[in-house]
Parts: sequence; structure tokens; C-alpha cells
Amino acid sequence: MKSNQKKAWLFLAPTIIFVTFFSIYPILRAFVMSFQSGSLINLNWSGFSNYQYIFSDPEFWRAIKNTILYALISVPVALAISIMLAWFIFSRIKHKSFFETTFFMPYVTSTIAIGIVFRYIFNGDYGLLNFLLKAVHLPTPNWIDDPAMSLTTIIIFGVWTSLAFNIVILMGALRNIDPNYYTIADMYGATGTEKFWRITMPQLVPTIAFLLTMNIIAAFKIYTSVYALFNGQAGVGNSATTAVFYIYNKFQIVGTPGVAMAATVVLFIIIMFVTFLQRKMMKKIGGR
Amino acid sequence: MNDEKFVEVKNLKKVYDNGHEAIKDVSFSVKKGDLVCLLGPSGCGKTTILNMLAGLLNPTSGDILFDGKSVVNVAPKDRQIGYVFQNYALYPHMTVLQNVMFPLTVGKQKMPKDEARKIAEKYMATTQITELADQKPGNLSGGQQQRVAIARALVQQPKILLMDEPLSNLDARLRLKIREEIRALVKSVGITTLFVTHDQEEALSIGDKIILFNNGVIQQDDLGQNFYLEPNNYFVANFVGNPVIDNFNVKVNGGKITGSDFEINVDDLDKDRFKRDLTDGEYVLSVRPENILPVEEDGAVSAKVDDVELIGRERILKFTHDGGQARSLVNLETPIKPGDNINLKMRLDRVFLFTKEGERVY
Repeated sequence: MKSNQKKAWLFLAPTIIFVTFFSIYPILRAFVMSFQSGSLINLNWSGFSNYQYIFSDPEFWRAIKNTILYALISVPVALAISIMLAWFIFSRIKHKSFFETTFFMPYVTSTIAIGIVFRYIFNGDYGLLNFLLKAVHLPTPNWIDDPAMSLTTIIIFGVWTSLAFNIVILMGALRNIDPNYYTIADMYGATGTEKFWRITMPQLVPTIAFLLTMNIIAAFKIYTSVYALFNGQAGVGNSATTAVFYIYNKFQIVGTPGVAMAATVVLFIIIMFVTFLQRKMMKKIGGR
Repeated sequence: MNDEKFVEVKNLKKVYDNGHEAIKDVSFSVKKGDLVCLLGPSGCGKTTILNMLAGLLNPTSGDILFDGKSVVNVAPKDRQIGYVFQNYALYPHMTVLQNVMFPLTVGKQKMPKDEARKIAEKYMATTQITELADQKPGNLSGGQQQRVAIARALVQQPKILLMDEPLSNLDARLRLKIREEIRALVKSVGITTLFVTHDQEEALSIGDKIILFNNGVIQQDDLGQNFYLEPNNYFVANFVGNPVIDNFNVKVNGGKITGSDFEINVDDLDKDRFKRDLTDGEYVLSVRPENILPVEEDGAVSAKVDDVELIGRERILKFTHDGGQARSLVNLETPIKPGDNINLKMRLDRVFLFTKEGERVY
């Protein structure tokens, strides 16, 4: 028994060491640093002053507000579109693998590269998007350079980039549904809508729950797409600043790691809380 | 209306897109209220026929009539059929009650929930699953799932029930029980049932009539016992029966049937059993193991017993003959051991003669 236990620890050691050094330690270090001020090589205890600072900083509140808005809008919209597209490809399209590959492409492409392409698409003067909007006589906003539009632009971009992963996972889930479920439904004359809501959706609940968790967490950590779309800025006049952008800014640019870590801890708590809420919600839906 | 030919299949043919000819000119009919088994080895086309009856597949040519009316151009939902899948395909996210109610609550003829529930409960009582109403299929045993699937298939009060190997997911003991239950159930409901299986024993015990398929062709369409007593051809004789039939290569020449170490006078055979005239040539003589028995007297085939297998009430004596293995089915008490030399005699009124092409002569 005892020697067995020793061996078990030995086998677990690589993982434990890895997780301790690269996951647990940084979290604790961030937590400790959030109570310290000064530069990285010269940190002093400063109590709750960092937290006091961020809570009175309008920039921080804007970042949090933008992040929450982004997550709450882009995630459900992206998921709804993904489900629609996946169902469409799955039920209507013949050469599924071609479309699946096409839709998966953005996932294996760097966000920075996509962002640069989208800078052109979104360009107010010669962008493809406005060209198309003009063609159908819709207003053509200045997507990139208008501070009032920057969050919308980020959301559109975020929805687009998350489609790839969602669709591939959803296609996998759709494939796993026993085709006989639909055969039987057909035999009893069920309509397409009935089949979707009474068979497909209930069967997708676990996958949707998984994607929702993944997407929400990713949305709260949004940084790269902002960086890429606004050329390294957080939009005109920091209009599209996000939580991670704020953290990065306070850490690297301003040089106040304590403040950055205080913001990190707050973001960490928000993500945990939202994930917890959302799991409870999905359990209720799934356990009907 | 047309009770003798309630289901009628005429010259049905199915060629798949890849050119595979699954069904070649099949015709049969089913009497109203009968339980008919479509039997055959896997790949023989029996499920293809069932799917064409259900409307899940379109026949290449030929006609299918339900109650005298062609249904080839009728959509599955309008054919008034119930279908039980091999894996049941119960909806795992719905309760038993919701599963059974499902056919009544979708499509154009959907009815109010209360009404659907009443009908569903009636059939759940018939199939004895009332107390499982709020369970999910995942919590049910194979037999219970089977009953839910049948209740769901019956709830729209179809005229014809189609079952595709409904027992193959159950363990052996449960299979015996459930097949009796299925027979009792469909008989009490009085529904015409077509039941696909590859298990001859299942077909023999459950079916009013059996249609045996091979290579997309009907081999025999008959009452169960006739598959034993009067097989149409070599395939039927070898497919039906456990232990399998013994086959001996023989030559017919000048009124004598000669095997590797036995000889039979054609005159000793029962003249009424000849299907056609026996001409000289090569044939296969087949005899069921229960009709080739050890005897004391000489003049019979002698053989050395290689092995003795116990199968409940009986023993199978296995011996090598003419390079192949043959069997004799004897009483449990027979004191013959492996290695014993025995004399065997065939019941000549029970042997069959087939041509090399498999056609039955005697």
C-alpha cells in the first residue's frame, strides 16, 4: 500500500510540478502582486491601494463594461449563427467536408493576419463592407475610426472569428446523432422545424453548454482582435479598450504591475462567477 | 377488403446506385393479421425489402400494394405503418411517455397533448410499460426499451408493423422471452406484422409463415415446418436446421446411388417424393442428422466417431466422411464415445437429392 502510494506520487510528479510552476504559482503570484506597488524589481506592500485605484479609474470601468458587453452580445450571437450554419451544412449541403474545411480555415489562421484583412474590409472609405452596404443603400458607418462604432466592429469581428471552432464542434455533435431518430420522425410526418426543435436541439445541449463555457471565457480574455483591428491601439481614444488591454497597458506601458494584477484578479473573479452561473443554467436546461 | 393479400409485393426489384442488385424480382403476399418472418443471412436483401415496404427506399421496379392499393408513390408517413428499428432509436432526451406520444404530436395530423397522452397511455398499458412513463430510455433494460419502441410504433394505429431484427440487441435468455411477448402482443392487437431476422430459430418460433431470402431472391415462402421437411433447394436445406444437414457427394448410375462408401438402390426410395426424373450424373445427397442413426446391423455406412457434443437432450456424434465432417443426432443416453466405430443408416424416406446447382430432385 505504502510503496504503491510512493510510486503513484512519482508518476504524478511531472504533472504536479508543471501545474504548480506554470499555473498555480502564477495565479498566487498575481494575487500577491495585486497588493504590492512599485516596479517589478522593487515591490512594496501597499494594501488595497491598487484595488482602490482601479475601482476609481473610469478607464477600468470602461474596459470592464466593454468586455462584458462584448461577451454578452458576441457569444450568443455567434453561437446562434453557428448552430444555424452547422444545421444548414449538415442537413442541406452535399459536399459537407469541403464546407467544413472552409469554415474551419479561420481557426487555423492567425488572428493578427485576419485582423489586418478585416482592417481593409472595415475601412470607411474603400472597405469591402461599406461598398456592399452602399450597393444596397444602407448607411455606411466609419467602422474603424468612429469611436462610437469601435465596440460594434469588435463584436462583428469576434462573431466571425468564433464561427470556425463552433461550427466544427457542432458538426461533430450533429454527426453523432443517430440518423434513425430523423428517419422515425420522417415516418411520422414531422416537419423540419419539429425535427430541429424536438430532436436536434435537445441532442445538442451538452455541446452547446461546452461551447458557451469556452466562448464566454475566451470572450472575457479578448485582446488580440482589438490589437489587430485597431493597429495596436484600443480603438480611437481607447473607445474599444477591454479588460486584458487594460491589464497589458498598466503592466507593460505604464509600468504598474500591482495595478495590472489587481485588475487581473477582478477579471478572474468575474470569469469564475459567470462560468459558475452559466453551468448552473445549462444544468437546469439539460436536466429537464 | 383483400384479406388474403393484405400486403402484396409484385416483381419487386432494387438496384443500388453502385450497381449492386440487392433484390431480384421478388413477389410474395401476406395475409391480414399474420406475423411473417423475412429470414435470410446478412446481405440477402431482407432489410432492403422492409425499407421499401416502409418507403425509406424506392424500388427500381415492381409494385407494393397495401390492402389492394399501390403505395410505391405514397410517402412513408401516409403508408400507415409502424417501424421498429434494430437499435430501437428511442429519443434519449425524452421520457418514455414523450417517446410514445411523439408520433401523435408531430406533423400535419398532430393532436392536442391531452388526447395524445390518452392514446399513448392505452398502448403503454398494452405493452406493460405504464409504470415506466417518467423514465428516460437510458435507465431501461433492453426488454423494456423494446416495449417502448413497439408502443411508439403502434400508437398511430398503423395497419402494418415492420420490425427490423428487433431482438438482436438482447441477450439469449431475454430474446426467448421477448419473442413470445412480441407474438402475443401483435396477435392481441391483430396487426399484420413483417419481422426481419437472420435467426432461423426465432423465425420458426414466431412466424405464421416464413419467407427465406438469399442473394435477393426468395428461396422458399412457406410454413415453418416445411423448411425442415420439404426444403425447396440445397440452400434452404443447409440454412435451416441445427445441427446443420449432412451432405454427401454421390453419383447416380444405372439405378444406383453411389457415395464414397455406401450404395443405395434408387428403387428403395419413395417414388412419390421425386420432384422430377432422376438422370445419371453427380448429385448431393443430404440428410438431417436426426435421420442418420447408429444401428447394430451390418451393411450400413461405417464410421469412426471423432467427437461427441452434448446439446441438452441430445448428443451430436461427429464423424469424418469423404473428407468432410458429418453429424448424427442421437439420444442423450446413447453410450457412444469418441473413437468408437459405429454403423450408420439413413432413413431413405427422409433424405434429399440435389443437383450440383442446388435444385431439388428427391
